[in-house]
Amino acid sequence: MNDADLPVLDESVLDELGASVGGDRDFVVDLIEAYLADGGQQVAQVEAAVSGTDTDALVRPAHTLKSSSATVGASRLAAMARELEFAGREGRVDDAQPSHAAALRAEWEAASAALREWTSRSGA
Amino acid sequence: MTDETGIALVVDDSRVNRLVLTRLLTELGLEVLEAENGVEALAQLRATPTAIDVVLLDVMMPELDGYATLEAMKADEAVRHIPVIMVSGVEELDSVVRCIELGATDYLTKPINARILAARINASLAAKRFHDLQAEYLEQQRQLTTTIERQKTELSRFLSPQIAQLISSREGEQLLAGHRRQITVAFCDLRGFTSFAEQADPEELFSVLGEYHRMMGEAIVEHGGTLEHFAGDGVMIFFNDPVPQDDHVERAVRMATTMRDRFRPMAERWRKRGYELGFGVGIAVGYATLGRIGFEGRHDYGAIGNVTILASRLSSQAGPNQILLSQRAVGMIEEMVEVEPVGELQIKGLSRPVSASNVLAVR
Repeated sequence: MNDADLPVLDESVLDELGASVGGDRDFVVDLIEAYLADGGQQVAQVEAAVSGTDTDALVRPAHTLKSSSATVGASRLAAMARELEFAGREGRVDDAQPSHAAALRAEWEAASAALREWTSRSGA
Repeated sequence: MTDETGIALVVDDSRVNRLVLTRLLTELGLEVLEAENGVEALAQLRATPTAIDVVLLDVMMPELDGYATLEAMKADEAVRHIPVIMVSGVEELDSVVRCIELGATDYLTKPINARILAARINASLAAKRFHDLQAEYLEQQRQLTTTIERQKTELSRFLSPQIAQLISSREGEQLLAGHRRQITVAFCDLRGFTSFAEQADPEELFSVLGEYHRMMGEAIVEHGGTLEHFAGDGVMIFFNDPVPQDDHVERAVRMATTMRDRFRPMAERWRKRGYELGFGVGIAVGYATLGRIGFEGRHDYGAIGNVTILASRLSSQAGPNQILLSQRAVGMIEEMVEVEPVGELQIKGLSRPVSASNVLAVR
């Protein structure tokens, strides 16, 4: 699947999550806040890793970002993080360049904005 | 809500994932503990191995990853039984297979689906509950066995060891209900005991009797005899029941000569204290009915038959240090004993006289 086809924010993931905790939107909002706080660090770690030669250093933040992004419905960011994780795992230096990290940073900003927008819309 | 409750340990380095899992598990009615990596998880598990009912373990973590954590858990006797559900991304399914091979109970893929989580948790908690019940049952069994062993030990103080053994054996009930078997009966008592009992003060009486019984008891055990009863100075022992003994006549005779040998120095000491006591034994062989006799509340394991009467009568006919052997018993171990015939004895209750021999020595 092409990353471009995926939504920046799949709101149905957040709705489903809300439903599975008995409609507790405050929980979802808190979760988004935790994601926004931790995700920024992981993006920064990815950026630091691609400027070096240690592809292993890339795997862990990319993996965590992938997994938590999927949890909050940031589908496109999750897919991009996954690609960087696997580039790191497989040692594909060409696919783990600063340009990829920059694209990830841009997507992170877009996803963060979409999540903040969802949060304010949800009336919390 | 699940059918089961318990305490779950969520192990994931991502705070977001821990938040979600913790909340979903709380919704299911579980208490949740959290760990950021395998090292923390193992520390919590080892600190409270009995408190945690299920572990949700992320595969990829810093410090100690899911594999290593799982391997460490399975190598640890105290925590290896706790179910582990691996939590991984869909692209890590190969690693999940490896985890199942390493002993993981189940797996979940991220993002977590609440309903699948509920189903997996239920299954794991049920398995854990089953394991705990089984462990509890085994513990009860162990305690029961300890109690039975203790009772057996106590019982063997009151009963002859063979009978204590018989009561707790598989065929015990059948044998207790009554059976017929050829046995050798030895009846022992003391010459001069009645007048001794009249003269001696109670302390002296019990001291002498105690010494005599102790010597007798040791000889009975050494020869594998079944003690039927003590009655003052009289002691009845039989052989070949409940434990079969091919050499039952020989055992009885060897026991009797052992007792006679050990009695001599004792009698010597008593003589110096002014008591004249002699030791006599009657031994007969024949069929008897054996089993539980008596009444509810006071049962004995006893032998009933002419053989016991004959042994008892031979014993009362025996002079000091004589071991009187019935003719039939002599016939069965002729080549092993040196005997002197004592002729025909008129036995009360038997119509015909009985010939018997005194045992001089056993070869």
